Formats: sequence, structure tokens, C-alpha cells
Amino acid sequence: MKTQSKLYFYLSISAILLAIIAVWSLSTGVYNFNGASPYKVLWEVVKGNENISPSDTYVIWDVRAARIVMAILIGSMLAVSGTGLQGLFKNPLATGDLIGLTSGATLLAAIAIVLGGHFKQYLPEVVQFSLVGISAFIGAFLSMMLVYRISTSGGKTNVVMMLLTGVAITAIGFSITGFLIYISKDEQLRDLTFWNLGSLAAATWTKNIVLVIVLIISYIVLIPKGKALNAMMLGEKDAQHLGINVEKLKKEIIIVVALMVGTSVAFSGTIGFVGLIVPYILRLLFKSDYTFILPLSAVCGSILLLTGDTFSRSIVEPSELPIGILTALMGGPIFIAILIKFKKSL
Amino acid sequence: MKKIILVASILLAVASCKKAESAKQENTAETNASQTPKTNNKIVTLNGGITEIVSALGHEKEIVGTDVTSTYPETLKATAKDLGHVRSMTIEPIMAVNPTLILASDKDINPELLGKIKSSGIKTEIFKQEYSVEGTKKLIEQVAKAIGNTDYQKLNDKIDADLKQVQPIAKKPKVLFIYARGNMLMVSGTKTPMDALIGLAGGQNAVTEFEDFKPLTPEAVVKANPDVLFFFSSGLQGAGGNEGALKMPGVSQTNAGKNKKIIAMDGGLVSGFGPRLGEAAVGLNKLLIENTK
Repeated sequence: MKTQSKLYFYLSISAILLAIIAVWSLSTGVYNFNGASPYKVLWEVVKGNENISPSDTYVIWDVRAARIVMAILIGSMLAVSGTGLQGLFKNPLATGDLIGLTSGATLLAAIAIVLGGHFKQYLPEVVQFSLVGISAFIGAFLSMMLVYRISTSGGKTNVVMMLLTGVAITAIGFSITGFLIYISKDEQLRDLTFWNLGSLAAATWTKNIVLVIVLIISYIVLIPKGKALNAMMLGEKDAQHLGINVEKLKKEIIIVVALMVGTSVAFSGTIGFVGLIVPYILRLLFKSDYTFILPLSAVCGSILLLTGDTFSRSIVEPSELPIGILTALMGGPIFIAILIKFKKSL
Repeated sequence: MKKIILVASILLAVASCKKAESAKQENTAETNASQTPKTNNKIVTLNGGITEIVSALGHEKEIVGTDVTSTYPETLKATAKDLGHVRSMTIEPIMAVNPTLILASDKDINPELLGKIKSSGIKTEIFKQEYSVEGTKKLIEQVAKAIGNTDYQKLNDKIDADLKQVQPIAKKPKVLFIYARGNMLMVSGTKTPMDALIGLAGGQNAVTEFEDFKPLTPEAVVKANPDVLFFFSSGLQGAGGNEGALKMPGVSQTNAGKNKKIIAMDGGLVSGFGPRLGEAAVGLNKLLIENTK
């Protein structure tokens, strides 16, 4: 098979799998549609049948469908941002959470939650509404800049430096979040805990629209960069010789990744390791060919997060397990596997 | 080969989940059947005090779901579904009990859940809860109106009658409320239910420097120098009983520690600020009198 048609083949297979999981997820939940099948109810809602009870409409459309779509969008963006970063840093350990991006985003989001009330009134209304989201993006962007500046010299990124910078940012984030926990009220405290473990429970269609816009912009920039990232693996000088504007490529990836991680954190809290697990598995299957794994990670990230989220909201009902717990549980062992594999080159 | 195994194992995992899922749905159907309502209203109450008010007004049977703080009356356990803690609750389990009315307090509900509840289209009343006698009476009146019952005066009268039994204590004892859960120890400052109740029971809160709850520090305990330590029964038990409480940092330096004055009351009764407010105040008043002789 030609590379291109092979890619389309795998993309279609994963898309079908994603669709199957979405169908399964749609039927999962504690609400009972008076014995009717959720699919039928959804179909009636889509058709605009007004005889469906408002509660049924609400649960199937605004609760379950919105949440499924959000899991698909965020899973996809987290995985793609992980793959993009790994290409940029030429290292399988580079992901938003390990190099401190997520932590930076979470920290500024936490500050906005606890202290936002004090300065909210001085801000324009548009900003007030999305204060937490904007703060998360700024947090992700600043961390990204910091990691990149500290760990890169002469066009080469030192992996150990990169991870240690991530550790430092995470430590700073942790301590300041700790301080915020200390000064926060009981109810803010619980919100922060929830925030730190991630959840898709607050999914709405408005948020999904914002996510779709961010996703489209980011993918238009990032997905065609497969060839350039492949060339980057040869080293920056060689890539330059192949006609790639390395500096521009780096800047674009940094901004797009910060945008995706920041927005995801803003809407779902910290969901770690998706950006590590997905590219890792894809690399096992297809080697490090970014023209392949960039588009595939977009679909496989959705598969992973949607599966995880469906479990998280069904195994301890009526409550739910924060999704971050599940992804970290899966990601930890893979992190160790990568460490062992790359023991010598670190 | 590797790829085939991977795809196969994923499909297998998905298939097995589906099976588990269908089994679960049958379960849900059963629970729903056993909860057939006896009246028109199907109420979800998301606050212990509000749950007590609804029950005391004679509408206990209409409650189909409650939060974790709704521990009284105990008979509710059999008829209403426990939906968990309002801070980690999600909307679908609430919708699953098919409520016609949701009652909650503004204090503890998480903003995201509140947003979801509001957009669900189910009639919802969010009450402002004030920790005072007047606030409680107002809450009772508002809840009664929300559920269509005008016969609430008797509840307010009972609170007044109970409160009359509170004996004045000449030298107001300094009471330190310690909120113990696992290893986390918090003390209650002003503007908390405990602060208000201690006042009603004839004592004074040992901590007046801050509002809400703050972590306990040994120095702060010594400085506050309480005459009595006050716990939730469950919290005291979790902290290792009286022995455990006396070993808490700083406690042995205080009057309460020296004289081993430790009291505990049921958490729901103390913090509910519902129809049993008078009862709670009288209970605490008695304990304070016994422990300050």
C-alpha cells in the first residue's frame, strides 16, 4: 500500500472505532429514558420532535452528547499537542504535563478561581466570562516559553534540562496552589481539588464551540507539519538545509500547543498523560513518522479520552471518578517503559 | 501481527464493557421501580437542613434524592437515593430520579452543577442560608412555600419553645470547634454554623480572628485557650476519641486539655440549621453546663 492510502486506511479504522465507542458511551449512564433506547431519543431530538419530555431531551443532548463531544475534542487536542511537542523536542518524553505546561495552566486557572472575585469587576465583561480560560492559556504559554528558553541552547534541546524545568514549574505551581488552598474557603477548596484531577462533567455546547474553533485553527497550522517534523529528527541544521524555516516552525508549534493545552485545561481541569500515551502507542505501531502519527493521534486521543471518561462516569455511580486519575494510572507505566527504553540516551 | 492483536484486544474490551453496562441498566430500572412516588411532587434536596424542613413539614415521602449531608430523618435512607456530595455531584444522577423540584442552598453547591441544574428546565429553588434563628425561620418559610405547604408556623414555634429552655451560663465558656476528618484538622472561625450555635447555647467561640474554617495550628490552639473542645461525633471517633483529641498538638496546654473537657454532637444536628435548631442549642447548652462546673 502507498503511504498515503495506508494513512487513510488507518484513519478510517480509528474513526470507525471512535464512532463505536461514542455509540456505547451514549447508552451509558444512570438516567433511564422511560424504557426507550437513548439512540431513539437522540434521533427524535435531532428530528425536532416536540413530544419528547424536556428531561429526556436535556439528558441526551445537553448532558451526554455534549460531554461525548467534549471528550472527543479535548482528547484529540491533548494527544496532538503531545505528538507535536515530541517532534519539536525530538523526544518521546515531551508532553504538556511532564514539562510543566499543564501545571502552569492549572496554576493560573486556580489563581483566577480563588482570587478572581477580587479583580473581576475591573475587567471588561467578555474577559470576566472567560477569565479562567484566558488565565490557563497564559499559564501554558509562559511555562512553554520558560521550558524552551532554559532547556534549549544552540538549537539543541537538552532533555534532562527540559524535564527538570518541568519539575521546577510543577513544584512552583504545586506550592502556590497549596497556598491558595490554605487561603481558600471550604467550597473553593473542593473546586480546586476537582480541578486538579480533571473532569468533563461541565461540558456544554458553548464550550464545545470554542473548542472546535481552537481545534480547527490549531490543526490547520499543525497537522501539515508532519514532513517538517520528520526532517527535524535529522537535526536542526539538516532540516534547515532541506528548506525548513526551523525558527518559524518552533514558534508556531509552541503557540499552537500552548493554545490547545491552555484551552483544554480551562474547560476540563488537569487531564494528564493523554499526550504521552497516544503518541507512544502510535510510535510502537508506525515508527516515528510524523506524517502518520500527527493525524492519527488526533483520532486516537479522542478514542482514549472518550473511553476513559465513559468508564469514569459509570464505575462509581451515582458519583464519578475524576478522569485524571484514570489517565495517570495508564500513563505512569508507559512513562516508566519509555524511561527504560531510552535509558542510555537520556 | 502486533496491530491485529491490539485492535482485537480493544474490541474485546469494548464488548465486555457493553455487557457490564446492560446489566447495570437493569439494576437502575429496578431501583426506579421501587421508588414509585406517593404524591405529585418528586423532590431532590441538596442540603441537610432543607431535607429536615421538607420532612418536618410532612413531605418526607416526596423526597426522591438527597445529598450526603442529609442524614436526618434516618428513614430517608430507604426511600431516597443518596446522590453524593454536592461538590462532586453531576447532573445525570439527579435527572435519573426524575425530580419535579430541586431544593438547594447557595452555600455549598458547585457552580458548574448549578449551571447544569438551571439549564435542565426542572423547577429549582436555591435558598440563601443564614446561620441564625431568624435565618432558619426564614428558610423554613421559603422552603414551605416552595413545596406548597403553608403550615410551617408550628416548626418556628417549636424552635422558639426549645430555645427558651437554654439556661444562661454566667461565665461564657470559650468553645473551640474542631472539624476533624482523617488527618485534616480545621477549626471554625466566625460566620460558621458552629460559631452561631455556640453563641445560641450560651458559650463563646474561642476563635474570632478569622471567618470560615482554617487549619489548626498548635500555637493558635494555645493562644485561643478554649475551656471546651467541641467535635462532631463522627469526627471525634475518627480522631481517636477523647484520648486522641487530648494528644492533638497544643491541646494539653489549654484549659480544655488540662481539665479534659471534650464534647461531641451529631454533625447533622449541629450544622443543619433546620427545624432542630432549638434542639441542637439546648443539647449543646446542657453539655456546656455539665463541662464548666
